[in-house]
Amino acid sequence: MKRNLFIVFSLVLLASMVLSACGPKATEEPAAPAEPAATEAPAAPAYEGLVVEAPNCDYGGEFLKMEAVDEYTVKFTLCYPDPAFPSKAAFTPFAVQPREYLESTGGAPLEKPIGTGPYKVEAWERGNQLVFTRNEDYWGEKAKTPTLVFRWSSESAQRLLELQSGTVDGIDNPGPDDFATIKNDPNLQLLNREALNIFYIGMNNTYPPFDNVKVRQAIAMSIDRQRIVDNFYPEGSVVASHFTPCAIPNGCVGEEWYAFDPVKGKELLAEAGYPNGFETEIAYRDVVRGYLPQPGVVAQDIQAQLKANLNIDAKIVVMESGAFLDAADSGQLSGLHLLGWGADYPDQTNFLDYHFGATSSKQFGEKHPEITEPLKKAASLVGDDVRKPYYEAANNAIRELVPMIPVAHGGSAVAFKAAATGAHASPLGNEYFAVVEIPGQDTLVWMQNAEPISLYCADETDGESLRACEQVTESLLSFEIGGTAVNPGLAESYEANEDLTEWTFHLRKGIKFHDGSTLDANDVIVSWALQWDYAHPLHKGNTGAFTYFNSLFGNFLNAPPQ
Amino acid sequence: MDKTTSNQVAKLDAEGLSLKSVSLWQTTWRRFFRRKSALVGLVMLGILVFVALTAEIIAPYDPLEVLIGKEPVKMRQAPCIHLLGCPADQPQHIMGVDGNVRDQFSRLLYGARLSLMIGFSTVTFAIVIGTVLGAVAGYFGGWVDNVIMRVMDVLLAFPELLLAIAIVSVLGPGLINALLAIGIVSIPAYARVVRASVLSVREMDYVSATRALGGDNFRILFNRILPNALTPLIVRGTLGIAGAIIDAAALSFLGLGAQPPTPEWGSMLGAERNQVFTAPHLVFYPGFAIMFTVLSFNLLGDGLRDALDPRLAHVSK
Repeated sequence: MKRNLFIVFSLVLLASMVLSACGPKATEEPAAPAEPAATEAPAAPAYEGLVVEAPNCDYGGEFLKMEAVDEYTVKFTLCYPDPAFPSKAAFTPFAVQPREYLESTGGAPLEKPIGTGPYKVEAWERGNQLVFTRNEDYWGEKAKTPTLVFRWSSESAQRLLELQSGTVDGIDNPGPDDFATIKNDPNLQLLNREALNIFYIGMNNTYPPFDNVKVRQAIAMSIDRQRIVDNFYPEGSVVASHFTPCAIPNGCVGEEWYAFDPVKGKELLAEAGYPNGFETEIAYRDVVRGYLPQPGVVAQDIQAQLKANLNIDAKIVVMESGAFLDAADSGQLSGLHLLGWGADYPDQTNFLDYHFGATSSKQFGEKHPEITEPLKKAASLVGDDVRKPYYEAANNAIRELVPMIPVAHGGSAVAFKAAATGAHASPLGNEYFAVVEIPGQDTLVWMQNAEPISLYCADETDGESLRACEQVTESLLSFEIGGTAVNPGLAESYEANEDLTEWTFHLRKGIKFHDGSTLDANDVIVSWALQWDYAHPLHKGNTGAFTYFNSLFGNFLNAPPQ
Repeated sequence: MDKTTSNQVAKLDAEGLSLKSVSLWQTTWRRFFRRKSALVGLVMLGILVFVALTAEIIAPYDPLEVLIGKEPVKMRQAPCIHLLGCPADQPQHIMGVDGNVRDQFSRLLYGARLSLMIGFSTVTFAIVIGTVLGAVAGYFGGWVDNVIMRVMDVLLAFPELLLAIAIVSVLGPGLINALLAIGIVSIPAYARVVRASVLSVREMDYVSATRALGGDNFRILFNRILPNALTPLIVRGTLGIAGAIIDAAALSFLGLGAQPPTPEWGSMLGAERNQVFTAPHLVFYPGFAIMFTVLSFNLLGDGLRDALDPRLAHVSK
């Protein structure tokens, strides 16, 4: 008996020694992706450039191949033309982080991203504040203020109070009632943000009675949207004629949304079999956004309108922000839900494809081919005029099938101390604080509506998270500060072949990450490929959804069958 | 009542030698009316009850009616009172208009009805259950007492509002669930009070007498002991209503109690909390209404306690 124990013990010891000897090798493995569909081959003899490629385009996504041609050149080969590719490449979720760092965090650098940006993350005290310090080795113009602090409060009154008392230097989304107060205060400045957003009332067509298109149309006709905008939105807001704002190319082509006609709506509802209305829910998150400045009040007005016009009894359900977004995306909201969207990049694909495309979330239930087909076609074409008829068709189909009711494009604003120079409001919601300076202050405090969810923005969609990432990480290209034009970023130049299926980016030389390592093409490939390839060992993220990649570039490579 | 004898002694001590027989309730009322603060509380409560009963008649508008397109008023408009110089061509809104363009005054009146209902129903619920539990624990003693009172101790160990929030989170937000939650968290206080009184009354001679005459436990407990152990419960209950109203308002403020568009003071306060500076009337009036109601019950409860407690008889002079 004793002898047996000894043998077992020595075996365990031996085994653990073998394991520890093999250990380092095991951790090296992710560096060399050995997925069935992805192959790796040296592209140049001097530089081991990574190549990730799909066997063919049948998997339903946009990419065919991602390739590090040499140390400073990356090439993306697409399955179909994508005129919006530069806009997408400038977008925060596709920022580049060092390959080694991504590997060491197992593909989930949630707390402390390592980027190349003007600021690096100093400390994130959860629930309290997020502190950034200036990146002294920044390749471009260095940040004007040494320390940047993000704070948050969901109460617009509190944000304004802190700005007035001087404890913060800039705030996001002042309450609509406070616009006048800020304008009249000589110590403050108000900067209007262009209304590149949409507030909509979503419905999921897999739950009765919303599975009946007549019910959806009836509600669409019976909500007085003008009344909502006139009474509850700040100046600069407009009633939405289409889902996409008109400032976006091809945004509002096709027929305008239904006029307010409660009589017709009531008739339609009766035809659908609900002459006396029904009971449902209105779900929303109590978070102020540019598209929805007063969520509670608007929810109650919609509730009152539904009752008055259609005799629909709606119960208001307030949900926690993250839980609400999850429930909406996974199609669990059985009633109406109030949500909106702010432009990430100025292209129709960011609005229509993200919400109604073939690979979009289950927010509105089953997809309609009448909408997804023209969208897919339009996304593969070049030139606004060429794409126009398809967006017309898609917009008309959306109007006909009513997956949601577009209500308003909400004007919003940011406010800063009057002394702040370089202060701006970005239509994309990504204010860039490296250019903001208040004379005599070495710390800049910004107060937004909510805490970032995580700082690994490849797997976040929340504007509050993206804005924080924007200060730290950079993408191949970048957006103009306070605008929507695409400028060079980590890549100093790029070119595409004639049919827009091959995009080559030339990286700037000598860019250093915050950890001191140098940017090269493989960092770019790993940052992108781990999102693209479902079987990639680093395809982990925060929840693993990689929602933006999925909705902008279609299916993941090696995705498990649904 | 059997207890009058002991009370009379106390009264005689306190008021000098009066030989006229006076019942407990007569002395109580007399003492109660002698206290000005208690009277004020009673009058305030009277006003509230009157408002709650006649809300339909007093209120100028339906509390749920949205006035957009019906009257030339704007969201969160300041109060307009004709008597105080508001132009006569503008519609009168004594307390202004709320964020959804509804008449704040009408909503406040209907809110009184809701708050009183909340206060009375939760406290009744808690008293009924708490009394039964406390009486059983006190009367039977032993392991029954131990089990019941330990469970009550566990309930008491949680902060009241936190426990209520936890219960509502499990049951789902809504007025009825909020009432239930507040009712449950206030049970232990009543159970303790009743148990303590039962323990002291249990040993009285008249209880032994009933037992000697062959009365069963049920009869002894509910006919002999409980009626004589009620005094502290009445006081505790009156004060408890105030606490229940505050708790319900807090839950509604957090969005867990009354759901929109119900005109509940706490949720009215919660909905407009961001407008403290731009539309103070929307925060002031509901807040004042809550304060008014709670104060009335507190004054009344204090007065009742002083009046019912023979040891404090001399204070009331």
